[in-house]
Amino acid sequence: MSGGQRRAWGAMAGVLALALVAGGCGGGDDGGDGGDAAGSDEQVTLRFAWWGSDERRELTEAAIAAFEEQHPDIDVQGEYIEWSGYWDRLATQVAAGDAPDVITQEERFLREYAGRGALLDLSEYEDTIDMSQLDPLVTGSGEVDGGLYGLPTGVNAYAVYANPQLFAQAGVELPDDTTWTWDDYIRIANEITAATGGEVFGAMDYGGNEAGFKILARQHGQEMYDANGELAFEPETLAQWWEYSLQLRDGGGAPQATMSAEQQDTGSPEQTLLGTNRAAMAWYWSNTLAALSNASGNELVLLRPPGEHERERTGNYYKPAMHYSVSARTEHPEEAAMLVDFLLNDPAAIDAIRSDRGLPANLEQRERILQDLDEYQVAEAEYLAEIQEDVVDAPPAPPIGAGQVVDIIKRLNIEVLFDRLSPDEAAEQFISEVEAATG
Amino acid sequence: MTTVPTFSRGRAPGEPPPQAAPDPPAPRRNRRSPLAKREGRVAYLFLAPWFIGMVVITIGPILGSLYLSFTEYSLLQPPEWLGLDNYRRMLDDERLHTALRVTFTYVFVSVPLQLALALALAFFLDRGVRGLALYRSIYYLPSLLGGSVAIAILWRQIFGTEGLINQLLGMVGIEGEGWVSHPDHALSTLIVLNVWTFGAPMVIFLAGLRQIPTMYYEAAEVDGAGGFTKFWRITIPLLTPIIFFNLVLQIIGSFQTFTQAFIVSGGTGGPADSTLFYTLYTYQRGFGSFEMGYASALAWVLLVIIAGFTAVNFLAAKRWVHYGD
Repeated sequence: MSGGQRRAWGAMAGVLALALVAGGCGGGDDGGDGGDAAGSDEQVTLRFAWWGSDERRELTEAAIAAFEEQHPDIDVQGEYIEWSGYWDRLATQVAAGDAPDVITQEERFLREYAGRGALLDLSEYEDTIDMSQLDPLVTGSGEVDGGLYGLPTGVNAYAVYANPQLFAQAGVELPDDTTWTWDDYIRIANEITAATGGEVFGAMDYGGNEAGFKILARQHGQEMYDANGELAFEPETLAQWWEYSLQLRDGGGAPQATMSAEQQDTGSPEQTLLGTNRAAMAWYWSNTLAALSNASGNELVLLRPPGEHERERTGNYYKPAMHYSVSARTEHPEEAAMLVDFLLNDPAAIDAIRSDRGLPANLEQRERILQDLDEYQVAEAEYLAEIQEDVVDAPPAPPIGAGQVVDIIKRLNIEVLFDRLSPDEAAEQFISEVEAATG
Repeated sequence: MTTVPTFSRGRAPGEPPPQAAPDPPAPRRNRRSPLAKREGRVAYLFLAPWFIGMVVITIGPILGSLYLSFTEYSLLQPPEWLGLDNYRRMLDDERLHTALRVTFTYVFVSVPLQLALALALAFFLDRGVRGLALYRSIYYLPSLLGGSVAIAILWRQIFGTEGLINQLLGMVGIEGEGWVSHPDHALSTLIVLNVWTFGAPMVIFLAGLRQIPTMYYEAAEVDGAGGFTKFWRITIPLLTPIIFFNLVLQIIGSFQTFTQAFIVSGGTGGPADSTLFYTLYTYQRGFGSFEMGYASALAWVLLVIIAGFTAVNFLAAKRWVHYGD
């Protein structure tokens, strides 16, 4: 063999080696050093994905650290991103067969993933996950087609956040939230903006999240979805909901359309008008109280939605804040189930996460931490206790495809705010689009 | 399969020619020397990484998506054959029609504007500006940055309700609305962003201008031609191959715009679908609502649209592009 050729082969070998290394990066994990003795003393790595604020990251990482301390052979890697990016990334990961082992879910997406076989049936892991203490009010929410695909992290409710400081600045009194009507809500918001000369908006626009509409629909004796997953409200009700928000926009109580459009796409609560003390009221889930209060630096309070005693019935409801679920393709189902059990039941996890994922679903632990909650968590717990008298029943679980409503309602809300569609037209279009998405 | 000319031609000088073999009915020339064979093998080995990459990473997925475009594929379950349903569905898909409208507006407005600006600046820089290299670099910079996430985020801030533009307008007493968040203006801000990345075509124009022999201008001057006449009768005709090249490249690139629209609208194509680019809609269908089959069909239609435009471009080019010889 000539020298030139030897060099050629040498170079080739180098190229091949590079190719193998590069291939190895994307490829599987076989060919490791330990052989195939899985499950013995080997280090197991779990990936755990969630969405949310930086504050949630800190709390969750504290919980993970406690878990790793108890299980030195398990390494948990957190994957976090804000809400809107979360679902795009998760869909991509699942499609690529690269799903995280433990996946945080939300009720509008849970059925989608469970129904398509992406999640593990957790009822087979009852030996590992202790479900005896979980709040029966919300545990059923993870059941899909006879399997158990998600366990609720905690209990949540939608609320009107109010900033008393800004109310005081405007010289407007906080309303009595047991009796206030939708008209009161609009009037108060408009008053605040007027009294502060537009420096503070009375309220942020609420039209881009269907949770608020669900409450109004229930007040009318209707539901967003019925038990069969069909839309079960009158178009007039949805039109009315947007009508109210136009009254706010035109009365000055809510910002002009462009700012509301910007706010609607603002990912983190810290940057919203409420979080930056530029709006006195906004609709959020109760578990973001700590994050929003810290952002604003003021003690925010939770008010019941308006109109609870204005119409046929009350509309408020408890919602499982999130669900923990396990990927169907996880290589370590047992360890993943252990992590879920830990997050739901272990005192160390509850102490770390507290009410950030809703008031803990574990009743025993909820009772325990009620003693030493901080002010926000106390306020949150009190709110959830207060509305108990208003919560008549739980809305049926949303159908497959309900995740698309997140984007549909945002888009139509913008159309309404910019007067490109009337509330009636937007309501009709919403119905036809959601029927197509969930049909 | 491609042969490897460099290696088969490089037969070693001392080797006997292949036809020396006593085998008349086999005139094929594949009886090469052992060394030539070995060299051929080496060549294929060297080509293998590229070839494998091409097949596995590019051609395979492209053909795969063609198959998927005839199926319903939710990403989480195996695909189910649908036939032409995905393509039929496009006829009634109003959001797709919006996406087409947005994308075509974007291409037809931003590409001519960008090329005109690029040509104008190249023309002035070519007239012997001091520090040409510096200007060239400065103007080229946006082309490198324009498609990046960071610039898109910056854009969002600059054109926001309380962004730079409105603050400047506020100084002169005009109260501007949010540009990015207004359905009537959002697309314009993205067009401005695209026009702003004129540097790449500009550099190509500049090179083209340098190639035009000065004797044409001198001759024209002798004949009494003015500045505009020289530009219109000499510069433009001789530059048509470059203009054509830039036009084809920019049209293809603009049809595929994704990053800017995704970041500026937070992935929604909003406000109110006013920046719903074709690629963004494809992405939403595929990854947002688990309709990868439909998304594949959309991708193929975009391919056909782009191929169509490029073909028309090439056909039309025969009428207006002059390859001076």
